[in-house]
Amino acid sequence: MIELALIASIPLLLAVEGELVAERAGMINLGIEGMMLFASMTAVYAAQLTGGIAGGIAGGIAGAAVIALIFGAFAIHLRADQIVTGTAINLLALGVTGFVYRELNDMFTRAVPHIESRAIAIFAWIAVPIALAWLLWSTPFGLRLRACGENPEAVRAANFSVAAHRWAALAIEAVLVGIAGADLALALSSGFAENMTAGRGYIALSIVIFGRWKVKGILLGTALFGAAAALQYAMQAANRGIQFHLLLAIPYVVTLVILCGIAGRVRAPEALGKSAEVE
Amino acid sequence: MKRIAYGIAAAAISIALLAFIGALFGHRDLLPILIGGSIGSPFALEGTLLKSVPLLLTGLAVVIAFRAGVWNIGGEGQFIAGALAAFLASRYGIAAALIASILAGALWASIASLLRIWRNAPEVLTTILLNFVAIHLLGYCVNGPLQEPSRMYPQTDAAAVALPLLGTTDLHAGIVLALLAAFASWWLMYRTKEGLRLRAIGYNANAARTAGVNVNAQIARALAFSGAAAGLAGGIELLGVTHRLFERFAAGYGYSGIAVALLAQLHPLATIASAVFFGALVTGAGELQRAANISSAVATFGQALVILVLIMFGSMRARD
Amino acid sequence: MLQISHAAKSFGANRAVDDVSLTIQGGEIVGLVGENGAGKTTLMRIAAGELAADAGTIEFEGRIGFVHQHFMLVNDFTIAENLALATRTAARDAEKIIASTGIALPHVERRAGDLGVGEKAKLELIKAIAREPSLLILDEPTSVLTPYESDELFAVMRTLAAKGTAIVFITHKIREVTAVATRVVVMRRGSIVADSPSMSAEEIARLMTLAPRSGERVAEGRVRGDSQGEILAIVGVAGNGQRELAEQFLHAHPRSRIGFIPEDRTHDGIVAEMSIAENIALTHEHWREAMRRAPALIDLYSIKAQSAKQPAGSLSGGNQQKVILARELDGEPERIVASEPTRGLDLESTRFVREQLREAAARGAHVILITSDLDEAFELADGIQVIYRGVLSDRMSPAVASERVAKLMAGLQ
Repeated sequence: MIELALIASIPLLLAVEGELVAERAGMINLGIEGMMLFASMTAVYAAQLTGGIAGGIAGGIAGAAVIALIFGAFAIHLRADQIVTGTAINLLALGVTGFVYRELNDMFTRAVPHIESRAIAIFAWIAVPIALAWLLWSTPFGLRLRACGENPEAVRAANFSVAAHRWAALAIEAVLVGIAGADLALALSSGFAENMTAGRGYIALSIVIFGRWKVKGILLGTALFGAAAALQYAMQAANRGIQFHLLLAIPYVVTLVILCGIAGRVRAPEALGKSAEVE
Repeated sequence: MKRIAYGIAAAAISIALLAFIGALFGHRDLLPILIGGSIGSPFALEGTLLKSVPLLLTGLAVVIAFRAGVWNIGGEGQFIAGALAAFLASRYGIAAALIASILAGALWASIASLLRIWRNAPEVLTTILLNFVAIHLLGYCVNGPLQEPSRMYPQTDAAAVALPLLGTTDLHAGIVLALLAAFASWWLMYRTKEGLRLRAIGYNANAARTAGVNVNAQIARALAFSGAAAGLAGGIELLGVTHRLFERFAAGYGYSGIAVALLAQLHPLATIASAVFFGALVTGAGELQRAANISSAVATFGQALVILVLIMFGSMRARD
Repeated sequence: MLQISHAAKSFGANRAVDDVSLTIQGGEIVGLVGENGAGKTTLMRIAAGELAADAGTIEFEGRIGFVHQHFMLVNDFTIAENLALATRTAARDAEKIIASTGIALPHVERRAGDLGVGEKAKLELIKAIAREPSLLILDEPTSVLTPYESDELFAVMRTLAAKGTAIVFITHKIREVTAVATRVVVMRRGSIVADSPSMSAEEIARLMTLAPRSGERVAEGRVRGDSQGEILAIVGVAGNGQRELAEQFLHAHPRSRIGFIPEDRTHDGIVAEMSIAENIALTHEHWREAMRRAPALIDLYSIKAQSAKQPAGSLSGGNQQKVILARELDGEPERIVASEPTRGLDLESTRFVREQLREAAARGAHVILITSDLDEAFELADGIQVIYRGVLSDRMSPAVASERVAKLMAGLQ
């Protein structure tokens, strides 16, 4: 059951990790939900075209990158409100995937290659956390990236580009969320379904807050959430019937509790959600 | 005047983009069907007006919240809460059902303000999470305690009362209520002390606090007003159109309200026109799906395009 | 070394820098003085390449270090991390770098956000000096320093200048210029009005303002203060608890019975997007009546506006402050708290604001003036108290205060 919990929460964890990087650089990407949804679709599409899971993962990353480009163009360069931009992106992804799903329907109804989750589990639960902890807290690049989330003006004063660092953060987020989308469609499910992310992006945002923007914290948050979700699956299997729908609500209630349990005492990156002069 | 021009331009550009993308996929007839299916006939027009009613109310909900600087993305959940309450109260009459929907929407939204004030939990996330809770709560109700007696379908019986229809049309009295709500919102926002303070915390919460406004209480009231509008939308949709509750009852009206409000530049009266535009888009998109097998998701697509185009206009203006 | 020729810069209709030429050599300590808004900071930002000039040329060789008036620190980072960010070095070298600058700042693992303002200023200075600039620009560096810390800073400046570094020291404190500068440049309304190796304090003051300050008003105010209301000035170096004190006053009284002029006008005072009338109505119970009265108040407080419906944010700083005055003073509150009421205002607005405070006191109101501008305190106040690290001194008469204030502000008594 622990294994199940670890494997089932891979897409969530990768999204949380990607969002951690983005938020550390000062961006709250509400569009992560749409990013993951779009990546799920492009992953399936690419997997069908190439016939392989490598192609699927690459397709997922490419899809997430497209969304990241839109988000970055608006949030970094047009200095648009990040929450409004994120909301628009979620509507965009929902609309586009719904539209394409019907247009290219045979593409999405055929059997897809299946990803074996174990390698990705090691990647998501061990490799990425170590890499992020090193990158963000032990390198000059990480120092500057975090400074973009705290005081972009200080970064500019030191003659570094805030835009470049925020773009780099978005690129990292896109890679991780792209893999998350691919894993969701090709490992946890057998293909794409409309609105299949079902709020995982929003839950990821909440877990980043719960984890106090730290690697250990987000791992703990995701593990707690994964355990609750696994418990819910187990209860579903044991207990058929009408309670099913109430069980479905549990992850969201758990997330609400998680948000409240800790949010009162945390300190967010100071410049989180604020646009910065980038030139 | 300029703002109206921007809004119209954003709507036109977005529709043009949709037509272009449709053409890329070989649907050269997308635009004619969209227009014909939304305003091309009295029947289509009726459909458009019917869809505009919930959009106007969820749009107003977003206008009120965003004006106060509160990120209520929870229109969907408040819409469901309002409909559920209206269904339960419908046996006590139409007035009771409508009032119940208003109160339920306000209460559901108030969970988010409670969590924000008590635990500092950001409402942008809590309202969204509450949407999912509401959706599954509705799923539970229509598959469980409120399921119709034959237990054949995941839906309720028809509500005990319905909104009266206007003349011989399918249009219901909810249209009048929604318009009244738009004027009431305008009055609230620009002709009362409450509105003055609500807008003040949205623009500059620090200055409002210094001027003696209790910001937390003001946030809570703004969210309650906002939720009330979304709840009423749910109640009216139930009592005027669907009469029954089912799993996908909310159909994205809550989220669409964000596009409606932004296109109206957060002005309560402009929201009327904006709601009719998006009502037409949703109705036309339904026709696209029936007549040309094009997904009705193009309506959502269109909403996103409108918001993105508006953001671009906004940043162009800021740079002038 | 630095050569500015015919530089000009406008912000809207305001000519911040108007055809200015200035040459600076290595080893000079240039005191660049002028009132708020005279164009000192704008000129130096142009020199440093932070702002593009509308006209003119800048020639400069080497590296410029710019210590801004507001801190550019990452609060969540340690001293060492802040230094690493700014100087492109490794955080573990921080102590070595600090030692090389000659400024004392121990315990580099402390978070910048936990430091006092004095130490924050030192860190900013270290950041700039560590990169060995050939020109160092200091923008109002002493505004948050105690007199003792200022002396420390002056010593560092002299050492750097002796090594050949050119230093520009922007300030409006005349005493400091005469103490440390080897050359004084006075700016007024975007132009250089004087440039000389030595100048007397009186001369600088006269050039800065061109309006002689009179002592007679002090006596006038005191007479009125004794019989009716009075003005009590609370002075201190910024960041010693003034903000908290003001908040205390604000919350100790019903809002309608206190006139409150916040320190940060744009942050806590004006709602820029709302109209003048709406801003005025914001504090009033009978808001409709207040909105109706707005046009009359615009006349009464000589606010330069086209109509009461104009967004408050479109007004100049001085007129925004008058809107706040109109709102806060019109109800004739029995108590008025004014924090830095003339900061950043032009001379005319400054005079108007001070006049209003005086009149309010004459009417019988109890005015508490929280200011870091000693000249303002001595001009207006009937009594003076010093705030240092959140503690208020005894109340003094202006005559007694003039001797003790500096020491009290530095925490030496």
